[in-house]
Amino acid sequence: MKKQKPRVAFFDFASCEGCQLQIANLEEAVIDVTKLVDIVSFREVMKEHSDDYDIAVIEGSIMRPMDVERLKKIRKNAKVLVALGACACIGCVQRMVNQWPVEESIAAVYDKDPALNDNPYFANFKTKALDEVVTVDVYIPGCPIDRDEFCNVLAALLQGKKPPIPDYPVCVDCKKKENVCLYELSRVCMGPVARAGCGAICPTHGSECEACRGYVTHPEEDAHTEVLEKYEISAEQIMQLKSMFTYRYIEEKAKAEVEQ
Amino acid sequence: MNTKNEHNPNPDKNPLKIVLKKDFAAFLDSLIEDESLEVHGVKSKDTKFVFGPLESADELRLDYDVTVIPPKKYFLPLYESMMHFDVSQPFWVQASEDVPKRVIIGVHPYDIVAIRQMDTYYTDSFVDDLYVRRRKNTLIVGVTVANVSEKAFFGDMGTGIVDSGFDLMLTDLEDVMALEVGTEAGADLIAKVHTRDATPEEADKVRRKREHAAAAARRGLKTPPEQWSHLLQRNHDNPAWKTQSDKCLSCGTCTSVCPTCFCYDVSDKMHLDMKTGSRMRTWDGCMLRGFTQVGSGEIFREKRIDRYRHRFRRKGEYLPARLNFVACVGCGRCSTQCIPDIADPVTLFNMITESSRELEERPVLHPVSPITAKGPALSSTDRDLYIPRPATIKRVEHLSEWEKLFELELDDGSTLDHEPGQFVELSIMGYGEAPISVSSAPGPKSFELAVRKVGDVTSRLHELSPGDKVGIRGPFGTGFGARALEGKNLLVIAGGIGIIPTRSLINYVLDHRQDFGELTVLYGCKKPCELLFSKEVTEWDKRDDVTHLRSVDSCPEGECWEGEVGLITCLIPLATFDPKTTIAFVVGPPVMYKFVIRDLVNRGMPEENIIVSLERRMKCGVGKCGHCQMNGVYVCKEGPVFKYSEIKNLPEAFT
Repeated sequence: MKKQKPRVAFFDFASCEGCQLQIANLEEAVIDVTKLVDIVSFREVMKEHSDDYDIAVIEGSIMRPMDVERLKKIRKNAKVLVALGACACIGCVQRMVNQWPVEESIAAVYDKDPALNDNPYFANFKTKALDEVVTVDVYIPGCPIDRDEFCNVLAALLQGKKPPIPDYPVCVDCKKKENVCLYELSRVCMGPVARAGCGAICPTHGSECEACRGYVTHPEEDAHTEVLEKYEISAEQIMQLKSMFTYRYIEEKAKAEVEQ
Repeated sequence: MNTKNEHNPNPDKNPLKIVLKKDFAAFLDSLIEDESLEVHGVKSKDTKFVFGPLESADELRLDYDVTVIPPKKYFLPLYESMMHFDVSQPFWVQASEDVPKRVIIGVHPYDIVAIRQMDTYYTDSFVDDLYVRRRKNTLIVGVTVANVSEKAFFGDMGTGIVDSGFDLMLTDLEDVMALEVGTEAGADLIAKVHTRDATPEEADKVRRKREHAAAAARRGLKTPPEQWSHLLQRNHDNPAWKTQSDKCLSCGTCTSVCPTCFCYDVSDKMHLDMKTGSRMRTWDGCMLRGFTQVGSGEIFREKRIDRYRHRFRRKGEYLPARLNFVACVGCGRCSTQCIPDIADPVTLFNMITESSRELEERPVLHPVSPITAKGPALSSTDRDLYIPRPATIKRVEHLSEWEKLFELELDDGSTLDHEPGQFVELSIMGYGEAPISVSSAPGPKSFELAVRKVGDVTSRLHELSPGDKVGIRGPFGTGFGARALEGKNLLVIAGGIGIIPTRSLINYVLDHRQDFGELTVLYGCKKPCELLFSKEVTEWDKRDDVTHLRSVDSCPEGECWEGEVGLITCLIPLATFDPKTTIAFVVGPPVMYKFVIRDLVNRGMPEENIIVSLERRMKCGVGKCGHCQMNGVYVCKEGPVFKYSEIKNLPEAFT
């Protein structure tokens, strides 16, 4: 009897759905992927949907009570839960909003529209990554994700291997690209604390790294801040840099300090 | 023509030729058009320079100061396929494809020295055939430094001028190009070029240009490289280490851009067909936090200060002692590219020199020759260093929740021919390779590996059954020296999975019982359910020629235990042995050594009677990848079995 293929379903929460688009755009590799797994749900490319799946691949961050409910249901159904992209892994750019009280943000965007009262779609709380609500088994970081990395993680998952996500800074990838360091060009970059695996795609194309893949497990944040100060980056600018994709770490640090 | 080959360097007689600039450009263009050859050279990139494929002679920038990364990428590629595999076959591995013939144009002398150091490193005791095949297929066209980069100090290091290590060496004499012919291959390369012999004036001009560059690349290094080793040995605790490493980003830039950092990592990449794939190696660096991490999670150089110090001691002390060269050529790449500006060797060595306790007396300890571009002859080798031999699983035995025993036979019918204490590199294609101690005594055709499930390879191994195939390289490393122990009293102290390698020795002794004196085995584990080889252990109890005591750290309710409860050290006072005439073998988790050794020494055992076996990340098994290094010692080669007295002073041995 032929072994049954694992069933994969894609889901999205607060996100641009760009990471799923990366998968829809896998080109030739799509054929390989569909040979390996049965895709039972994928809103971007198909109408069908099934709640019978083994692997749930989830894009997006959690913003409202209704999201929590839905995510918990998915967790219950799935054997393996994959957080896809920066929104799911760390909260991405929408986490910047956590710097302000939720009511203020809602008021700033929607004014005081009475239609929002008791509307569950607008019952926002502070942005959360998936693992702040449920257990996440596999993380595929990035904004958007790297297609090759998605394929490598999928292969590892099917082999029962640890997902091959690097835990060293982007600088390693960047040197391999023989880039001139952006700091040498008097620009700033989050590369020294950001998790590699993207092939340093932004610095390679002349943009600074904004750490969309999150930090390495043990980022040398203090040393990095010292470098930024050495390059005369103002505290405000440093804060901006660190809030773009990685406000989660600022929140966690503040929380840890309070607990101490 | 008066040429010479690289095996018989005779620098005084290197012919010096002169070629017109336009002829030189035409020569380059003809090389580029030659499809049997890849032509690489220095090109500009943004505000800097890189080595890359040349599309025309115009692209070549012989006036460059330094490249972003060194030409080591041609010999140890950024990503290199070591072999291909197909897991749909029982065991199918194929060497990776041949490498192209290549010429690299514009290599500065300091980089030539680095390449020769790399030659020495990659051919020392085990010849790395992947390295050698690239090296042998590459012609090196050097160039006299025309512009010295701001942070370069090759003048201080004596690496600004070389008389060998290149096939051709160019010097730009403005209106003409001078070509020094270093090898026959170099002479062949320019055979069709219209050249004439240099005049004495031109030869003098070349010499002056070289000397000028070397003189310009001096930055006031206060301790000359040949004295670095001595300086470092006396300054393990110098405050400069902390001052500097506190600023370290652990970003790996310094090791990536260094021409004398040779370490690499290996991983298996499976294609999406889930059948075929490649074992890949890529650059790795000791400044990255996970560099020394083993399967169980332990990181042996976890602190930045330890990693930072290791980088310099490797360059200034460990490699000089081992291979007779200082592994820094003064290119200044790390100095330029380190953004917190802590990687510069001149700054660091000057800081240490200024605060050194022994400013006055600093003799040369190792007769190091940092100025050498001499390397080994690159002889051809048929041996595939990294390709494993197929072996078949004959038997699988459940040992505990986490450990299984695998009996294996090599498919070529040979015996493993190991010594108790040695290890093998076990491969499961698509999953990777892991160092595993051999657990059986030498002798029969088959051998046994007892394996704890911790990482990808070992977890996969646990899923395999008799008849399945794995790959084996080795045996590697040192053993317990069982044959030399004949007549001696032996005391084995094994903690947890430390019983696995020591079982090999115990069984060897039991097989040759009359050749040895008393045998005492002290075996401790965390909980009763973690006791391995329980059947054999019970047999030891029954024998009157073995004394066996065992302990568990704790005994949870519901489990039964016949033995002591407490840490393994609680067994030492209970054992009767004559400390003066007994050899002790201590193997266990890192935390165990300090306490067990202390108790043995307190009991009156001379330190030289204590033998240990240590765990480190032995990724390649042949002293190349760098992960298992413990100070200057490669645990995979000089260990894992050591005399305690020989390593007790290594700061990194017992953390």
